[in-house]
Amino acid sequence: MDWIVGFLVLIIKLALVLGGLLLLAAYLVLLERKFLGRLQIRYGPNRAGPFGVLQPLADTIKMLTKEDAVPEAADRVLFLLAPAVVAAEALLIFAVVPFGTSVTLLGKKIPMVITDLNVGLLFVFALASLGVYGVALGGWASNSKYSLLGGIRGAAQMISYELSLGLSLVPIVMLARSFSLVDIVRAQANYPFILVQPVSFTIFFISAMAETKRIPFDLPEAENELGAGYHTEYSGMRFGLFFLGEYVNLQVFGALVAVFFLGGWRGPILPPVVWFLVKILAVSILMIWVRGTLPRLRYDQLMHLGWKVLIPVALLNIVITGAVLLL
Amino acid sequence: MPNIVIDDREIEVPAGTKVIDAARQLDIMIPRFCYHVALGSVGACRVCAVKFVEGPFKGVQMSCMIDAKDGMVVSTTDEEAVEFRKYVIECLMLHHPHDCPVCDEGGHCLLQDMTISGGHGIRRYLGSKRTYRDQYLGPLVQHEMNRCIHCYRCSRFYQEFAGYRDLGVMQSANRVFFGRYEDGILESPFTGNLSDICPTGVYTDKPSRFIGRRWDYERSPSLCINCSLGCHTVASARYRQLVRQEARYSEEVNGYFICDRGRYGFFYASHEKRPRRALVEGEEVAYHQAIDTVREKLAQISGSAGPEAIACLSSERSSLETQAMLKRVCQNKNWSGPLFFMEQSLAEKVKTATARLEPGLTVSLRELEQADFILAVGADPINEAPMLALAMRQAQRFGGRVVVIDPRPIFLPFDFQHLPVRLHEVDLYLSLMIKAAVDRETATELGPSAAEFYQTIPTLETAAVPLQEQIATLAQELRGCQRPVIVCGTEVVPQTTPALAADQVLLLKAMDKQTGLFYLMPGANTFGASLLSGDDGSFSTTLESIEKGKIKALIVTERDLFWKYQNKQRLERIIEKLDLLVVLDYVDSETAQKSDVFFPVSSLYEAGGVFINQEGRVQVAPKVYLGGTPIKQNSGGGHPPRVYGVGIPGSEPRPAWQVVVEIGNGELPPDEETAFATTRKWLAEGNPVFANLPPIDQFPDDGVRLGPALDVGSRFSLDWQTERHPKRNSDGLELILVDWTFGTEELSIYSPHLRQVEKEPCLSMHTSDAVRLGLSSGDKVAIRFDGGRVEASLCVAENMASGVIVMPRHRLLEWQKIKELPRIVRFEEIEKVSV
Amino acid sequence: MKSAWEAVAALATGFATTFKHLFRKPITEEYPEYKRPLPERTRAVIILTRDPDGGERCVACYLCSATCPVSCISMQSAEREDGRRYASWFRINFARCIYCGLCEQACPTSAIQLTPYFETCERDILKLVYEKEDLLVDHGGKDNEYNFYKYAGVVTKVGDKGAHIKEAEPVDIKSNLP
Repeated sequence: MDWIVGFLVLIIKLALVLGGLLLLAAYLVLLERKFLGRLQIRYGPNRAGPFGVLQPLADTIKMLTKEDAVPEAADRVLFLLAPAVVAAEALLIFAVVPFGTSVTLLGKKIPMVITDLNVGLLFVFALASLGVYGVALGGWASNSKYSLLGGIRGAAQMISYELSLGLSLVPIVMLARSFSLVDIVRAQANYPFILVQPVSFTIFFISAMAETKRIPFDLPEAENELGAGYHTEYSGMRFGLFFLGEYVNLQVFGALVAVFFLGGWRGPILPPVVWFLVKILAVSILMIWVRGTLPRLRYDQLMHLGWKVLIPVALLNIVITGAVLLL
Repeated sequence: MPNIVIDDREIEVPAGTKVIDAARQLDIMIPRFCYHVALGSVGACRVCAVKFVEGPFKGVQMSCMIDAKDGMVVSTTDEEAVEFRKYVIECLMLHHPHDCPVCDEGGHCLLQDMTISGGHGIRRYLGSKRTYRDQYLGPLVQHEMNRCIHCYRCSRFYQEFAGYRDLGVMQSANRVFFGRYEDGILESPFTGNLSDICPTGVYTDKPSRFIGRRWDYERSPSLCINCSLGCHTVASARYRQLVRQEARYSEEVNGYFICDRGRYGFFYASHEKRPRRALVEGEEVAYHQAIDTVREKLAQISGSAGPEAIACLSSERSSLETQAMLKRVCQNKNWSGPLFFMEQSLAEKVKTATARLEPGLTVSLRELEQADFILAVGADPINEAPMLALAMRQAQRFGGRVVVIDPRPIFLPFDFQHLPVRLHEVDLYLSLMIKAAVDRETATELGPSAAEFYQTIPTLETAAVPLQEQIATLAQELRGCQRPVIVCGTEVVPQTTPALAADQVLLLKAMDKQTGLFYLMPGANTFGASLLSGDDGSFSTTLESIEKGKIKALIVTERDLFWKYQNKQRLERIIEKLDLLVVLDYVDSETAQKSDVFFPVSSLYEAGGVFINQEGRVQVAPKVYLGGTPIKQNSGGGHPPRVYGVGIPGSEPRPAWQVVVEIGNGELPPDEETAFATTRKWLAEGNPVFANLPPIDQFPDDGVRLGPALDVGSRFSLDWQTERHPKRNSDGLELILVDWTFGTEELSIYSPHLRQVEKEPCLSMHTSDAVRLGLSSGDKVAIRFDGGRVEASLCVAENMASGVIVMPRHRLLEWQKIKELPRIVRFEEIEKVSV
Repeated sequence: MKSAWEAVAALATGFATTFKHLFRKPITEEYPEYKRPLPERTRAVIILTRDPDGGERCVACYLCSATCPVSCISMQSAEREDGRRYASWFRINFARCIYCGLCEQACPTSAIQLTPYFETCERDILKLVYEKEDLLVDHGGKDNEYNFYKYAGVVTKVGDKGAHIKEAEPVDIKSNLP
């Protein structure tokens, strides 16, 4: 009986998280387009429904009904697999992200996390590095020079910035003394880590943008050089999956920033889940703002920033944090 | 060999080369309007000015007027010369009208190119422009005198080059006018060349008037198949319609020009009535269905009456591929044939001619222009092969003598000697003249047979023929000349003449002369036909077999049986009698209409093909366009249909060889290249001359002249003396059927424009015969033939043999009522018809 | 250190600029509700104009079709009874046209002209293939003066030899007078 209830709860939680994520992803697109529009003194989409609120729906219908073309010379299996890898990887990360305190329902304590892994952080990194495969494989399998270039750039960029991403979190782990995301949130009961680790936060934020391949780090899809980079040859819902993956990733990193630096679901007055959402949105809006302001980096600048600035600074930060903790 | 430096590049050219030509050899194109390689220099336009820096001349001079000399240094890009040319063009453009958009020359206009490249963009002249009234010059050439820049090319071509006088230059100073004295159809059959050589739009091509621009045409080199010379052309197609044909330069064949029959003879290819669907018993069916029907019926006939009951008839206008494939199918299937000629005597004459064209003797059309004595025997150049007349004109123009021995009233556009003798005397007169020109010793050196041959020719004194003195003087000239050529026709002449002509050429050659032998043949690929035709059977025996019921099926490729056969009634009966008549053709001929199964085939322009001209030159005509019904014809007059679709409407016709192979259920070569390769391989097995032919895409521009094609046979035969000739009939006239420039050739008659320049068909007879019959020129006469009366007007001529009546195989005459040939028309069979 | 400060300042300026934009009224012109008046020489749908005498200006010289970079113009030239050259059919495929205006520049008779009208969307692509009757208008477009045949010097109803602008009387070739 117990396991049935547990199973049901899990399914419901999964469904809610999944549904929420997808809905949020769709509306993040709209938010991005509207917000970006305003940053550029435009309206953004405003034709589908009042203020364009039905735009995500329209886009979804469009993508679903478009022809799913596979290039003749493409590696068919890999070509079809790549977008799924990207989307699945992004969704899976959420398995370990806590989005609230436990709720007691019908005398049963339900944690507001799908699964609280004690190596949650490692799980996040493991999955984040899987995302490289989607990009690299998609670029390779398309058998098109633009795609290939995009794929290669994507692989190089994501591998480079994964280092600084990981290193920037080492001080957090040192502070929280746990790899579990739930524990990390708990460790911020008194103050969010951003106050003690601003350098860590900055490195993480920059690396997260690079990992999600957002402007100014959108070299893998640089449309004015590479068509659309690694997903040039994709159409219809397969392109949609790449797109979805990208925006889920945006939420993932928003959530991770919230968890690692902003105290997770914690906050006064409002319920924890709402706080969590607010924090995700805030991070997202910040990212959009960055996108609306900064131009794309050159490839050498990208590598320079990653290897020669972020990694040394992150290492230095670890040393200093360690020293402070020891003392 | 003078050495000359042009634009810092050195070249050695033969003495007498003009500087403009020397530059051409260095691929430097000096502007020119009046200069034309074929017409020579006159220095009228001043646009070829270049700067002579060193050497015998200094300063700006006309490069077309100065021979290249040693030590000359010439600059074409010198500022002074460039400026000079710029002003010249501006002056030439003073009166040029502002009508390029409505001028057909626009887009390939030399004046337009030079004006733009010379940098003259804006007119500075503010005065009013000179204008002229234009003339009607016939249906082939459009006149627009306002555009003239007075380069004199037209009058030089028309009068000096071609020898006709009715178009030329008039008036003086600022009023110089090029045209005729009064409106009228141009007399020359070379008028189309005016539009080619005019550097601007004074003469434009009338049949293609306002049809399109050069850049929109699908253009490809092609060949003319309207006579046996095989002149080179460029054919242009647009919107699936063949719209224009121009002369293509050929070093060996036609030079820069072609005749109007060749130029405008292409209209059959896009003719409105051109059949485009396969027909079985008059019903349109799909191509493969027709193939199945034919195969089935042929199998039936073959099964019941044996394969010999199926006969095949090919044609002289078919490509070598078609001829060879048909022969191959016949051999594989044991069918009778194929026959290539409908007249046995013609077949034999042509075969003799083919055999006697030995490598040392054959001359090309261009080599013939170098001759200093041309003796034409039984050939009527203007009517049978107009470009031959143009070549002869060149020989005559540079001092050569032209002599024609022929019973017909021969016209040539230059001075020549005509010996109007009866057909059976042609051999004798030829021999008399040669004998008078060749020494006995020379003949003896050639061996006993030559000596005997020489011996048996009567001398002028013993022969005691009329025109004796004339022959003696001509023989004297012949003796003194260096490059004599004998031109020999194969159509009207007696059986023995082709061989005799070759023997006489051998005698001349023995006199240390550069001799030439030039045969005329009746069709574009007659040479190929004669190489392929076997010794078995003739068309008349085939007809008899059909009448006896031995032959039940006849396959005819690209031939109209009625076109050149004198007995229409018999043919009609035969066709009735046949179980199956299969016709492959691209024109809607009478035979095609009477066929049981008809296959539309591609024309030369859609299929391409290999043709061998009368001197044994194998030439390739590539495809020009893909074929299909012209847009003009399937659009119903308005705009083209508003539909999307794949495939070309009306593109069912395929190359004849393809249909032939499929009828014979053979293996179909996938494309033309392999088709020709297969043909060549197969042909080479039978005749080694074909082994040396290059692949179709590596053919040289001027084709390949075949080596000794057939076994020469016996030289110096004495047959010509023993052959029985119809003796002069005191109560009748010998009937000679002839070709005319326009109106008697099977394909060119589909041209609506040539129909307008056709002359009204008329019978010709000598004045003495006309007097005897009490007739005069212009009378309408009727001849009672066995098949019915034939009416035509009469032309009485002094310049022809007496005792003959000449009748053109004109499309407007029902000459097919003659029934039997040869025919003597008795005087009482000729009557005057009162109008 | 100075350069780092400059970099931060530059970044801050950028972010401040975009942030300020958030509160500005968007400059977007919303198309179907608001239609911007277009200049006369805007390049959109092509017309065939007539000369001041009402005759079709197009002489079917093929220059427009030759210059068209996307080959969307096709026509067939023909001759009227009076010798005037005209297009027996004239077709522009607007599904292919890129409105570059090269045809207008090439036209020697001011016949083909581009107009500001651009709203030609169709669901059936064949409806974008315009024939001569769809293209021909009853006015001279931007040029109401020019009549090619008054200058060309060819004989048409517009004028005989010597009757056109800046033309002398035809030469009398039969006269011997100097």
